[in-house]
Amino acid sequence: MKLALSVKDLNLYYGNKQALKNIEMDIYSNKVTAFIGPSGCGKSTFLRCLNRMNDLIDNCRVNGNVFLDDVNVYSGKMDVVNLRSRVGMVFQKPNPFPMSIYENVAYGPKCQGVKDKKILDKIVEESLKNAALWDDIKDRLNDDALGLSGGQQQRLCIARAIAMEPEVILMDEPTSALDPISTKKIEDLIDKLKEKYTIIIVTHSMQQAKRISDYTAFFLMGEVIEFDTTSNIFQNPKDKRTEDYITGRFG
Amino acid sequence: MNTLNKNKLIDSIARYIFMAMTIISSSFTIILFAFLFVKGIKPFLPNYEYGMINFFEFLFGMVYRQDKGIYGIGFIIINTIITGFLSLIISLPISVLTSLFIVKIVPKKFGVMMRYVVDILSGVPSVVYGVFASGLITLMVKNIGYFFGIPTAGGNSMLSVIILLAIMIFPTITSMSITAITAVDKNLEMASLALGATKTQTNFKVVLLAAKSGIFSGAILGLGRAYGEATAVSMVAGNKLYGPTFNLFDITRTLTSTMLSGLKETSGVDYDIRFSIGLILLIVIFGSNIILNVAKRRIGK
Repeated sequence: MKLALSVKDLNLYYGNKQALKNIEMDIYSNKVTAFIGPSGCGKSTFLRCLNRMNDLIDNCRVNGNVFLDDVNVYSGKMDVVNLRSRVGMVFQKPNPFPMSIYENVAYGPKCQGVKDKKILDKIVEESLKNAALWDDIKDRLNDDALGLSGGQQQRLCIARAIAMEPEVILMDEPTSALDPISTKKIEDLIDKLKEKYTIIIVTHSMQQAKRISDYTAFFLMGEVIEFDTTSNIFQNPKDKRTEDYITGRFG
Repeated sequence: MNTLNKNKLIDSIARYIFMAMTIISSSFTIILFAFLFVKGIKPFLPNYEYGMINFFEFLFGMVYRQDKGIYGIGFIIINTIITGFLSLIISLPISVLTSLFIVKIVPKKFGVMMRYVVDILSGVPSVVYGVFASGLITLMVKNIGYFFGIPTAGGNSMLSVIILLAIMIFPTITSMSITAITAVDKNLEMASLALGATKTQTNFKVVLLAAKSGIFSGAILGLGRAYGEATAVSMVAGNKLYGPTFNLFDITRTLTSTMLSGLKETSGVDYDIRFSIGLILLIVIFGSNIILNVAKRRIGK
């Protein structure tokens, strides 16, 4: 199987406090990988290491290597703007820009210098179709994106990420602010998206990880306790702590 | 039970106190308008004691000579709008870029210091700006005029007024913009950066757009201040008797300077007409606010 990302010996510090310890992980292409663990275990922090969003946090220091196609994301060779166009991100709270639906999706390509209206139109249509939003809103592309429902906003954010044609899409608890019906739609969408993209999702819900992911990593206190196929993690975990967590003894 | 009743009583008393305060403050506004309207409309009524003034000659007249009894403020309205908007056009981009710099680019400690400086500037009394303008800006304008071979009235000119107003409204717009930009949801910036946008792209395309409302409020306040500034403007405007003035180096006259100059040494029509001018000034300010609000809705759509 092809590797999308390979993480070697990654450590992260907030000031003097170590938040991630010796993380090693291989993430496979066109699979859904879920990160689970109790609050504050470092799963979101680790997710943000993969597109270097932690660079924006003061006194946050990262040591280690993340390989994307054999290029170290943390080396001087990797331009962070380029990295983020290859590794997209969807956030916990839907955060569409205060612009029209069309402009939201076209934002990324426009920032990369795409000016041709025809190309942009095509990208917008394709992305919205892939995010299963096109049929809902094709007649009101110029409406304000903030007028959409929460679930639609989140799918718009996914469309906005897809518009960049990334290789990997990072999702940071993308359904935690949504109702069950919208959540179901996003989960179905994730299942469809993995044909084209590698998806890494942080989730607060073990059930969700079980439903949608192929691989699961269990995080605890800044360490990866166990990383395996989702069925192994949930059916026969090797580590006692994993078993305790998934059976609900703590967390 | 006793405490419960007591709390209920306190609640209802508090409600009436709030209501009373609101009524007092809103009645100020109404009284002000009513008073200005009653006084301002008097010179145009047939039974005016000093002889009725034709309203259309007042509104569209291009000569203002109180010594001859000619009161035409058409050109003064135009001058006021020109100086106000030009000072806004100069000040707005400077203010917005300054606030972006202070909030987003400069290290936090330095940014806090810069905010103090801006706050101090907005607290400087207008008469101080006035002496500064008449001492320095007029001199500068005079020299610029001299350089291009354009005579100026000792530097008193429309250009001096515009520069002065641009400086005066800068702190107002800047502090409003700083507040607006600080309040922009960090998640929006994150989203933009995560899409591979650079910091500059993020600042201009997302942050400013999200802060648009607050920035325009600042612009409206600033323009209001520019229109409303009397003291400092009177010190450098030159009080022209006819117009309108389109030459930057020529002297000018604004509604406020007309209202202010010689207010205490006059009576009769010349005194009463100032209330009418005040009424027109308010209308000009409302009209401009409407224009800015329309512009706000158009931008970024």
